[in-house]
Amino acid sequence: MTLTTDATPEAEQVIARHNGVGPAVAGLTTSAVGVAGVWIGLAGVLGAPRAVQIDWLVPLIGVALQLDPLGGFFIALTGAVAVPVGVYAIGYARREHLGVVPLSVLPLFVAAMLLVPAAASVSTFLLAWELMAAASLILVAAQHTRPAVGSAAVFYAVMTQLGFVAILLGLMVLSAAGGADRFADLSAVTPGARTAVFVLTLAGFGSKAGLLPLHAWLPRAHPEAPSPVSALMSAAMVNLGIYGIIRIDLQLLGPGPRWWGVTLLAIGAVSAVYGVLQASVATDLKRLLAYSTVENMGLIAVALGAATLLAASGAASAATVAMAAALLHLTGHAAFKCLGFLAAGSVLATTGLRDLDRLGGLARRMPATTILFGVAALGASGLPPGAGFVGEWLLVQSLIHATPHHTTALALATPLAVGAVALTTGLGVAAMVKAFGIGFLARPRSDAAAEAREAPTSMLTGMAAAATACVVLAVAPIVLATPLRRVLAVVPASAGADPSGLGTVLHLPGLAGSMAPGLLAVFLVVAVLAAVVASRWGSRRRPTPAMLPLWACGADDLTARMQYTATSFGEPLQRVFDDVLRPETDVEVTAFEESQYLVAKVAYRARISDVLQDLLYTPVVQAVTFCANGIRRAHTGSVHLYLTYGALGVLIVLLVAR
Amino acid sequence: MRGWIAKIARVGRVTEAAGDLPQAVADAPTGVLGTLQVRHVDAGSCNGCEVEISGAFGPVYDAERFGARLVASPRHADALLVTGVVTRNMAQPLRNTLEATPAPRVVIACGDCALNRGVFANAYGVLGAVGDVVPVDVEIPGCPPTPTQIVAALRSVTQR
Repeated sequence: MTLTTDATPEAEQVIARHNGVGPAVAGLTTSAVGVAGVWIGLAGVLGAPRAVQIDWLVPLIGVALQLDPLGGFFIALTGAVAVPVGVYAIGYARREHLGVVPLSVLPLFVAAMLLVPAAASVSTFLLAWELMAAASLILVAAQHTRPAVGSAAVFYAVMTQLGFVAILLGLMVLSAAGGADRFADLSAVTPGARTAVFVLTLAGFGSKAGLLPLHAWLPRAHPEAPSPVSALMSAAMVNLGIYGIIRIDLQLLGPGPRWWGVTLLAIGAVSAVYGVLQASVATDLKRLLAYSTVENMGLIAVALGAATLLAASGAASAATVAMAAALLHLTGHAAFKCLGFLAAGSVLATTGLRDLDRLGGLARRMPATTILFGVAALGASGLPPGAGFVGEWLLVQSLIHATPHHTTALALATPLAVGAVALTTGLGVAAMVKAFGIGFLARPRSDAAAEAREAPTSMLTGMAAAATACVVLAVAPIVLATPLRRVLAVVPASAGADPSGLGTVLHLPGLAGSMAPGLLAVFLVVAVLAAVVASRWGSRRRPTPAMLPLWACGADDLTARMQYTATSFGEPLQRVFDDVLRPETDVEVTAFEESQYLVAKVAYRARISDVLQDLLYTPVVQAVTFCANGIRRAHTGSVHLYLTYGALGVLIVLLVAR
Repeated sequence: MRGWIAKIARVGRVTEAAGDLPQAVADAPTGVLGTLQVRHVDAGSCNGCEVEISGAFGPVYDAERFGARLVASPRHADALLVTGVVTRNMAQPLRNTLEATPAPRVVIACGDCALNRGVFANAYGVLGAVGDVVPVDVEIPGCPPTPTQIVAALRSVTQR
């Protein structure tokens, strides 16, 4: 539905009018839905549980909604992401000329996402889930005229529907075994059904959350979707995958047995390490952020797995800390990833580039966007004072303080998990330094980057709101203390210990260890100020500096081509993790005709594909194609044959129904 | 490990004796309290001088004990040690290098080519001697100069 610009004056007027009102209405509606979500969510977290039954809306089953602390937490989180995204979308839609369809679906998508955690029955949950999936699919395919978008949208559609099938089967098994549609009425299920539900829902929700090996849609769909949509998907929609795991597996069926915890822990650790490895060698800014989402969802799955495992092993305090880590990291990730995608979108909108190898030099041209992306990158790198630090610190603390005398599984799993988290954080810093340093600093590597313009006010306002959330979460996570306490109390794995020590100074409940993110930030700021003052004081007697051109090794001037690129920055890591990443590199040397020793051109091509995707998905796609070819023989085009099929079908139905 | 310790004990000291302090030809740059940091520039040398310079900074002649040290950038340097005739391609880089060296600075021309074009005097790619392009403070004659001569020239600046 994009409007072409080479149109008649009449059509240009349409564009002008469209640019004026449409984006503003869509953006403000999205934000309003978000504000309503925050309000309802907070009411759910802090107030008493409230149930709503709307029978007339859907025939036979009706719609059952309920607000409880767990659902309310996710509703509030989703709403809070939608508010800045809505404001941002106003300016973004004007710059990128988003059509009517994506603009009108944007608030619907947010509403569908708000509905998922509010669902109180299996049927309502599935309805909301499918609404959300369909809305997100329309948004991903918004610019479907580009071939890359079309292929990404098909890929996303297939994966999200397969995930839905798994969830559908899992919840049907749950509903049949529990003997009820409403979550609250479910009775205890048999161990066999419990296992089946866990496996099916983990596959379905895991694919939504981007856990390995069902992550492949993330790095495809996120770069191709419009940036506000990427932000919503990465900061709100994937969270609902985690919500599904917590609600169905850890609350309704919980507390889970030990092997559930080990499974979650293993899948999470592998996702985290694989995601961050791909992020650290990615050269596409939005692809990098998408892989970073895989990484962070992996860390959250590690925290959920640790909570389950620790609770099943009797370490109640550590389990509470792990669950708190999962929820805090979820919130932090939502804040910084939303900001990251929005900032990447404002770069994309003005330069048309996502390729880090062609960006650079944006700090001069777009200072506000650069600072805002810096806030997001700091959060994503998991260092203090970033939004991702507190969650990761709590996760590591819960793993360290696990008492290994309980079980062998715990004694083996926790050190390995600590190692995985440490490796993930380390590589995450490298990935984010690359995204910020190569993408925004130094000199522009292309004309488009050199002519970048700062984003309009609405986009900056949206990003500033997300950045404020990042800073607050990093410096004063105490704002989440009350909601967190209420949520932790309703999840069985974390209900064992009192988390009241999580204040300004985070005292771990029942464990030795405390940390004060606010004081840490104050200390850092004071230390930086002291260093600046000291260096000014030290240099007060120096002569006035002479201004000279940069030293270019004797050449006349430095060129942008002499700089590090994202590819060269990631090359050492690519070399170390050669076996995992399997890069395809190709060096082609063209010599002059006169002599083979005089080189005219050296071409270097490197392509890093997703190994898992190649190994796991290609055979499946080939098998499906093979089967489809077989079935195609049944479609001869003969009306008589089709009538026979129909008759046979009716016959079978009659026989079965008899 | 015993092998190389024994070797050290057996071989002993190989460094040449210091000898007398040569006459000062150029003032050491003011502000140089410690070592004179030297940036070597090859303006079009045949690499004979380079071999001798590496000899001068090797263990036998050991120029570093007299307070001279080779560095990797003119930004770090107090002195330039230029070898070879100045070719057309290297003339501007040589000027740029001099520009990039913080003042006060010393330019040491090393070898006959650097002083008077030497054997390459009439070659087509040669622009001139080092003195034709940048001002020279210390001259080291020889084709190539011996390490002893190079060390003597460096000592004439460092005065150690």
